[in-house]
Amino acid sequence: MSAIDPIVGRYVTVTLSGRTHRIYFEEAGQGRPVLCLHTAGADTRQWRHLMNDAEVTANNRLIAFDLPWHGKSLPPEGFETEEYLLTTEAYIETVLAIVEALELETPVLAGCSMGGRIALQLAALHGDKFSGFIAIEASDFQPAWYDIDWFHRPDAHGGEMGAALVSANISPYAPNAERWNTLWMFMQSGPGVFRGDLSFYTKDESLIPRLPQIDTGKTPVHILVGSYDLTCTPEDAQRTADAIPGATCTVMEELGHFPMSEHPDGFRPFFIDALAKMPV
Amino acid sequence: MLDKWTAMGTALEARAHLLRLGRLFSETVLIQLGEDEYYLTFEKGHLVDVTPGPSRKTPWRFALRTDAEALEAFWQPIPEAGFHDVFGLVKIGRARVDGDILVLVKNLRFFKEFLALGRDTTSGMEVSA
Repeated sequence: MSAIDPIVGRYVTVTLSGRTHRIYFEEAGQGRPVLCLHTAGADTRQWRHLMNDAEVTANNRLIAFDLPWHGKSLPPEGFETEEYLLTTEAYIETVLAIVEALELETPVLAGCSMGGRIALQLAALHGDKFSGFIAIEASDFQPAWYDIDWFHRPDAHGGEMGAALVSANISPYAPNAERWNTLWMFMQSGPGVFRGDLSFYTKDESLIPRLPQIDTGKTPVHILVGSYDLTCTPEDAQRTADAIPGATCTVMEELGHFPMSEHPDGFRPFFIDALAKMPV
Repeated sequence: MLDKWTAMGTALEARAHLLRLGRLFSETVLIQLGEDEYYLTFEKGHLVDVTPGPSRKTPWRFALRTDAEALEAFWQPIPEAGFHDVFGLVKIGRARVDGDILVLVKNLRFFKEFLALGRDTTSGMEVSA
């Protein structure tokens, strides 16, 4: 086996709301395109285990990108005087711009947490651009059970506090090394970025009335949720699935909120099963 | 239960990384288990005193109010969902955090890892609820 990962990383330049963004993306595999969205406060690295999985990539071309402000995608020019606050509209625009720029033909969209939330928004509003949706730790809406302003303060390290908080969402079954790799990404996220992501995730309720519009006859929706996820509980995910006619939902007993990152071996069979539910 | 906190304090001393994480943490924390109260005083990350309450004269920075059964469930090697984290206990309605929660959040990794030391220390597990 080669010591070099099969994952290839490149940059693509897109225009979002009239501003130029150089976006980092990675891909591995060939065949059906599967666009993967990371969680709040993290980046593409969350998907590395599946991208390095030869069985998954034999027939699936996995592509993941870092949202602006995240990972290796820089914030836009002038960010130093801006308050980063993600919105549903900006997130949708970004995903559609990447699909177009990378010339992805009706990819499967797989998103986790806020990525799962936006996957369901795209299922409702732009279903024709995708072939199916795997929404992981995804729900209609969650008000914050914490104060999002904790994570952006001049007197404390938002990343370290964010990591300490989200550790609540990691299953005790997760291997210790992957637990800490998962938390490291939160520790690394830029000042105010986790807060800005959470602003979108915890304040925008617009998905709720849109869920019944999703046409799972054309684009299937499969929701995956970990038992140890305190943020999006199995009850939250099931409620969301129940509101989408034809959607399916699987509870993953030993997993938490970052399954592909915190416990790759545990998540793998659930993701392969989800891919099998998507059109080829 | 007093023995348990003492054992956890000893375990804390054996973990250099935790003492480093807690080096700015000098506070008294109230742990309430049903009717029982324990005031845990930390000095620069070291647990220097554990005083049983109740006491109206002991100031504390933040309090974790839960019950003995919930804490025992939290201390299992593989806790059930909800019992696996302090905020999990809060979310499932088995605990409450009062007081200066921001001080807790600023020192969250330290406090969570201190509390989790109860999973590694077996002495004094007999809790009087």
